[in-house]
Amino acid sequence: MRTIALRLLAVFALVCGAPASAAPDDHAGALAALADVRAAVTEIVRIEDGYAVGHGPYLRAAHRAMNALVGRRDDGYAASFGDPGDGAGTLGHLDTMLDKEGSSLWTPAIEGAKANVLAAADNLQSAFGEKEMEDYQADLTRALANLALVVGRPSQDGVLGGISGALGNTTLGVPAGIPSVSGCALPARTPAYGIVAQRLVYVALPRRSAATTIPDELSVARVVVQGDDLILYTRASDSAMAVCRRTAHLQRTRAVAPAKAVPWYTAAQAHDGIAVYRKSCLQCHGADLQGTAGPAVAGTEFLTTAKTNKWTLSDLRTTVFQNMPFSNPGSLTPKQYADVTAFLLASNCYAAGTKPFPQSDSPAFAAIKLGPIPAANPSNPKLRTCTVK
Amino acid sequence: MLRKAIPLVIVAIVSLVAVSRLSAQSTWPTADSYVNADKDNANWILPARSYTGNRYLTSTEITSANVGTLKKAWATNIDARGPLETSPIVWNGTVYVTSSHNDVYALDAQTGAVKWHRTYKPHVIAFSANRGVALGDGKVYEATLDGHLIALDAGTGKTVWNIVAAHDTTNTFFTMQPVPYKNMLLLGASNGDWGGIGYLSAFDAATGKRIWDWKTVPGIGEPGHNSWAGDSWKRGGAAIWSGVAIDPASNTLYVDAGNPQPDFLGTIRKGANLYSNSMVALDISGATPTVKWYHQFIPHDTHDWDPAMPPVLFSGTVGGAQRNLVAAGDKGGNFWVLDAGTGALVYHVAVSTQKGQNTEPNRKGDVACPNTNGGVEFNGGSYMPDTNAFFVPSVDQCGLWTSPGTATYVSGQFFLGGAFPKLVGPSTGYMSAIDIGSGKFLWRKHLAFPQIGGALSLSSGIVFTGGVNGDFTAYDAKTGSVLWHHPTNQTIQAPPGSYSAGGKQYVIVASGPAGINFADPRFGQGAPTLEGTYTHSTKATITAFTLP
Repeated sequence: MRTIALRLLAVFALVCGAPASAAPDDHAGALAALADVRAAVTEIVRIEDGYAVGHGPYLRAAHRAMNALVGRRDDGYAASFGDPGDGAGTLGHLDTMLDKEGSSLWTPAIEGAKANVLAAADNLQSAFGEKEMEDYQADLTRALANLALVVGRPSQDGVLGGISGALGNTTLGVPAGIPSVSGCALPARTPAYGIVAQRLVYVALPRRSAATTIPDELSVARVVVQGDDLILYTRASDSAMAVCRRTAHLQRTRAVAPAKAVPWYTAAQAHDGIAVYRKSCLQCHGADLQGTAGPAVAGTEFLTTAKTNKWTLSDLRTTVFQNMPFSNPGSLTPKQYADVTAFLLASNCYAAGTKPFPQSDSPAFAAIKLGPIPAANPSNPKLRTCTVK
Repeated sequence: MLRKAIPLVIVAIVSLVAVSRLSAQSTWPTADSYVNADKDNANWILPARSYTGNRYLTSTEITSANVGTLKKAWATNIDARGPLETSPIVWNGTVYVTSSHNDVYALDAQTGAVKWHRTYKPHVIAFSANRGVALGDGKVYEATLDGHLIALDAGTGKTVWNIVAAHDTTNTFFTMQPVPYKNMLLLGASNGDWGGIGYLSAFDAATGKRIWDWKTVPGIGEPGHNSWAGDSWKRGGAAIWSGVAIDPASNTLYVDAGNPQPDFLGTIRKGANLYSNSMVALDISGATPTVKWYHQFIPHDTHDWDPAMPPVLFSGTVGGAQRNLVAAGDKGGNFWVLDAGTGALVYHVAVSTQKGQNTEPNRKGDVACPNTNGGVEFNGGSYMPDTNAFFVPSVDQCGLWTSPGTATYVSGQFFLGGAFPKLVGPSTGYMSAIDIGSGKFLWRKHLAFPQIGGALSLSSGIVFTGGVNGDFTAYDAKTGSVLWHHPTNQTIQAPPGSYSAGGKQYVIVASGPAGINFADPRFGQGAPTLEGTYTHSTKATITAFTLP
């Protein structure tokens, strides 16, 4: 029994507690690799956009691009043409990153980027020998296509995401010296990088600091202002939340006392939610919240189902904010959604507090499980619901 | 004394057997009764009257000449916690119906008086609805919202057996009317918007023991499995939830599997997604069903346009030749006619407005038609051999679809990859008569409200159907002119039926609250009907009509 508990703890720690970060030099290496690719692209685009007579300038541009890509330690490097990159070359940086034991979540993206660098180099090599201008241009167009994949885009994971995708969505995006914390909860202090299972969930930055700069390679899916901090959620945050929920479930299966309920809404919000419920929810969920054509949303019937299905506050929030009202989802204002969620929590006898239910999602909600509350003092003992005033 | 007593006991036993055999024949339908259900005008013992799935009667007392005098014979209010979708089962002077929350009622066929009433309090996952009971050897069978299959004593309503028939009760429930076939009860599970995989099950009608399951999504190594990208098949949906048709001569079951999942997010389930949105012909003669053929109506659906209409088997004339056909209809607004032997497409007809059907829902949002409740719904339509015409009601709505591009499975919640669409523009309906010979409209009525009430056609030249505004109407089958109508003052989402009792023919229909899918702001303002307007009632009623 103890072993199992310890193992579960270990799994939990692996996923959320102690995020496996990229070595800081990998982050720097990825940025340097990206800078070299961009230097190569600039060389090619500049000569294509300009007008030159004779082969010379074109050949020179292709060689300079080649130098930026392969680096001075490669046979293809021709020092006489100059190097718009840093000398190590994209290939040099990527090789350093890949030349380690074990692999990371970002490894496939970097391996893919390397393959595309090699393909681009191959096309450039071919361009060196072309006699006709159009053949030369065809080679360079192919090389540019390869390089677009090397750069990739922050909105995509894996091979298609290229270097940008790896920087924007994985631990590779975490620079040296800035703490990375579990992405399942908000950080205690900023700046901080939230990580879940090697995915970059958010970048939390102090809003009013002059030193605050938003990283270039970040796929910001949504921005949340939390007090004095700015939380930039990445595109990977949605799938990471699912991991958080699973982890919270694992955590729940350990025999631990339920966490003391923290108030998540104010009584004023719940009061405002009465009118929203009457107008948009009552028809299907009933005046006593026990459901008519639709399901029950409060009391024993709802909370027992929530417990069986392992619903979290995040699940409740998603259903209300995203799928309701059923015939016109998304039609309420953020305030109305927050108010009616507060009304539902109050009707289920969760205690009110001083902090309002937020209009935007909070990763902390994924760890809050819903279920019957033993300490509750329902105003309707039969249904175990509380009347909201 | 002893010697005399023995023969007496034997006589008693023999006579008991004889009596019970006799009573079994006269009291409850036999396997033959089901096969010949289309010839029995007194009773209605299968969901859509016969195994063909066609609500059609010949030699009826009600004709186009006298239907104008049809009067309400009785009306009985039942549990009104949700909309009524029940297809009444009638046997020997008793009408068996269900409420949205699985209450079961036995009503007197001539007076509507409640003979018995069994209440139920199921856990509701999302939609409360039930399409009715099945009748067996002294038992009434009901499949419930909390995933049970229950056998009740048909005489008293007391529970005989009660089993958990759903594999996962957190995401699966039953709305379908069980279908008796030989010693089996056939039942599909509603889990196609909640992250399950569709399946049709056969249970032993005597004991409730599971005989087989047929899954609608092919597993690893099965034909069609590669029509799902990666692991997407594991929550692929394709639920079986409306109805089935059976050809007893060849033991062929015709069944439609519903939409793939997540409903509105196709990018994570690339491929055709078999057997979602397909009609499948299954050979059910063996220990487990085998696929004879399938026809996929909408490959890789991203709009929840499942073929909700129960299949209808019929012999119709197409291009001058008599052919064995099977009809289907989908929520995408299509009415389909297939060759019943091969599944080959004969033709399809658009019966609702269609627009933007090839654009997958995205963050920005796109309008597509029909809306999610649009097109042909779960009560389907009816074929009339006398005119070689198919009558099919439909919904005409458009919707705004959006998808955030992600889908997360949460047990007991919708697994949609977005939200159900918002209604855009008007909400209306059609009653269409399609000439099977040409695939063209014989006539069409554009009505102010959605039409999902199925159809009952009589060889005397009448088609009955009910609208969401509560109008219960008899149309002239040849012209579409209204011969008779009755405002029920409630929504009609249930199909019409017919039976005879005390020497008179009755037409019966259920009406009730709007529920989730067909709530309409016009109800609060006095919805227009053929007779004027009415204030929407929240009662639920079974109404039977007869000639004076």
